[in-house]
Amino acid sequence: MVKFLKPNKVVILLQGRYAGRKAVIVRAFDDGTRDRPYGHCLVAGISKYPSKVIRKDSAKKTAKKSRVKAFVKLVNYQHLMPTRYTLDVDLKDAVSLESLQSRDKKVTAAKDTKKRLEDRFKSGKNRWFFTKLRF
Amino acid sequence: MAAGKKTKKTHESINNRLQLVMKSGKFTLGYKTVLRTLRNSKGKLIIISNNCPPLRKSEIEYYAMLAKVGVHHYTGNNNDLGTACGKYFRVSCLSVIDPGDSDIIKTLPGYHAGLCRGLSLHYFHSTKITEF
Repeated sequence: MVKFLKPNKVVILLQGRYAGRKAVIVRAFDDGTRDRPYGHCLVAGISKYPSKVIRKDSAKKTAKKSRVKAFVKLVNYQHLMPTRYTLDVDLKDAVSLESLQSRDKKVTAAKDTKKRLEDRFKSGKNRWFFTKLRF
Repeated sequence: MAAGKKTKKTHESINNRLQLVMKSGKFTLGYKTVLRTLRNSKGKLIIISNNCPPLRKSEIEYYAMLAKVGVHHYTGNNNDLGTACGKYFRVSCLSVIDPGDSDIIKTLPGYHAGLCRGLSLHYFHSTKITEF
């Protein structure tokens, strides 16, 4: 009886090109909108996970391996698997509904979230979010 | 996490309570609608039959753990649960939205509050994530 599809919840996408990727809910639309008359949410997720870094790697290689590629998407609730984890990253100003209107706005939103997610990855917190889900 | 032997008396009383919910309350039958009621936090009690596929059972239990909703494992398969609901088809899982005159929600989840707690502990151990 507790709403759990709230902002900052980590979810796993089940369908589509990004199936199996972890994402974080930025904004939830429980009752839908006119265009999407079903419950859906705006998620920002990882499209390409950072690779494993070993001790032998040089600084340049570490930097290259720690890159994260992000995506922004509107997803139906039915195509998400919620998890018990949350990710406290402020993405509200980077990602909004209007950033999905045109392609270049989407690209800048993805680049912005990429930067924030990379900073979070390098700080070493929320390590589960940045590991690839094996299936 | 075993419930112990389900006596015939409590089983009958669950059937009676379910019957009352069917008559006077609101409910949904079926996996898709059960998940939907859990997502929009309308579901108050979930009942799963005993031959529900284990992956689906775990998924419903996980959603219920997130939503803090009780789950009752019905002693009987989907045919029995369908019959208990007064339907002529099988029901693998159902969600009680509004119990109406029935007290099924008051009498059942105490039994499962421990199960939910046990379930979240189980997930903690199985995932071995301590630092997240």
